[in-house]
Amino acid sequence: MLTLQTFKAMVAAAGDDIRAGEKLFSELDAAAGGDGDHGTAIVTAFNAMAKADGADFKGYLKALSDALQAEACGSTSTLYGAWLQGLGEAAPEGAAALDAAALAAAFKGGLDEIGFTTRARVGDKTLMDALIPATEALCAAQGEGVAAMLDAAAAAAAAGSEATAGMRAKFGRAKNLGDRSIGPRDAGSASMACIFAAFARAAVE
Amino acid sequence: MPMKKFLNEPANLTKELLEGFALCYKGRVKIVSDKIVVRATPKDEGKVAIVTLGGAGHEPALSGFVGEGMLDASVVGDIFAAPGAPKVLEALRMFKREAGILLVTLNHAGDRMSASKALRDAQKEGIKVVEIVTHEDISAGIDIDPEEKRGLAGCVPLYKVVGAAAEAGKSLEEIVDIGERFNRQMATLAVAMTGCTHPQNGGTIAVLPDDEMEIGMGQHGEAGGGRSKILTADETAARMIEPLVQATGVQAGDTALLIINGVGATTLMEMFLIYRKAAQILADKGVNVTSGACGEYLTVQEMAGFQMILCKLDADHLELLKAKARSPYWTA
Repeated sequence: MLTLQTFKAMVAAAGDDIRAGEKLFSELDAAAGGDGDHGTAIVTAFNAMAKADGADFKGYLKALSDALQAEACGSTSTLYGAWLQGLGEAAPEGAAALDAAALAAAFKGGLDEIGFTTRARVGDKTLMDALIPATEALCAAQGEGVAAMLDAAAAAAAAGSEATAGMRAKFGRAKNLGDRSIGPRDAGSASMACIFAAFARAAVE
Repeated sequence: MPMKKFLNEPANLTKELLEGFALCYKGRVKIVSDKIVVRATPKDEGKVAIVTLGGAGHEPALSGFVGEGMLDASVVGDIFAAPGAPKVLEALRMFKREAGILLVTLNHAGDRMSASKALRDAQKEGIKVVEIVTHEDISAGIDIDPEEKRGLAGCVPLYKVVGAAAEAGKSLEEIVDIGERFNRQMATLAVAMTGCTHPQNGGTIAVLPDDEMEIGMGQHGEAGGGRSKILTADETAARMIEPLVQATGVQAGDTALLIINGVGATTLMEMFLIYRKAAQILADKGVNVTSGACGEYLTVQEMAGFQMILCKLDADHLELLKAKARSPYWTA
């Protein structure tokens, strides 16, 4: 089981790691031809999320989504807003703890919702390169329990993000660089992998 | 390039320009909830509402086309930045009605993302809304995936056509049909001569050597020929109208609308020279060119250059273009 209290600790841990990686995320963004502001955007999002609270998974996830959409700007705000909203909508009514099946369903709901907002999929050099394999690995490990699911997700997100180094950007400003966007990892996938790594670590602490 | 603009505090720029716009056109438009521009006198609730969204810094677009016979609302972001999905959703809630809402989105990544999220949230709440995405820029190629084409000033005549159809009491389904046909039959090509500065940070956007111009986007430039030494007005018009004819499929006997949209620093004098030659070429091909437009509709600060928009018209489009419109920057 994953309790709401543990999940809140996971979000806090992700916030700490994201803040520590701010400079790296901005540098990766600039290196691949983006605006060079991904670090700022994702830190703004987590700072906004730190103010959110809720009494059950549904309420807490909706509060996270609303808080970051109110304060963060640009694609990070919209994409993370959709992801967290989808996670919350797929969470069971009034639940303060999720079993393996409910956790998998929530993450699947999050991925579905973000998929309606962006057309990007695996191979397009975006955060979806980390999120899609992470969600799939998490769902596939359902029989092994919550901790194993989050470990599998973290490993898949890291591998997915690493793979973006060899990709050509197809979305955002980096797209204009064409082949010159090949080389650095995608910043959005790097921050997403960082979040899943923090989730896995904080879930067992 | 040093920035020379009349500005106050950069962070307040969008808010202040919208306030000035609403003061100037009081009685016609007003601002609600900070960044949503609506008509001063709302349209009958029984009619379909037309809503659009986009960044600021492109004045008079997009809010300049809010008014009778055109848009009901324009959701504004910040300078060159899309409004967030919550703001777009707020506007959709404001115009919720049985007749429905048409959301017109220009194909730019940020706008698309906010619109997609707002559209999905609105539909979950039971708001009847359909989206039309404009993507008429052919500078990256005529036959490429429409998702790869940007939405430029072609949105303006599209607002006119769908706005008139809504005013005439047509259903959402009819308006979507009219709008999508118009959307498929229009094409735009842009040319730039100088870059511009970002009004909030002074950063330079798109630099060109003093003696060069660039048709299309640069990186590929398939449709426009890309960079060249500065050509004459006639040569430029000829080079641009041909791919537009090809893209729209306009031919002898067809009726077409031609618009020259100045993007900031190109004079109306130059626009008339361009219009003259392009219209002559169309007439030589046997195309019936209806009364068109030259002016600044969607600008990019002090950039020099223009967008040439060609629309092949069906009979209903022609009638709708002639119907009454009283927005601040487009009247008929």
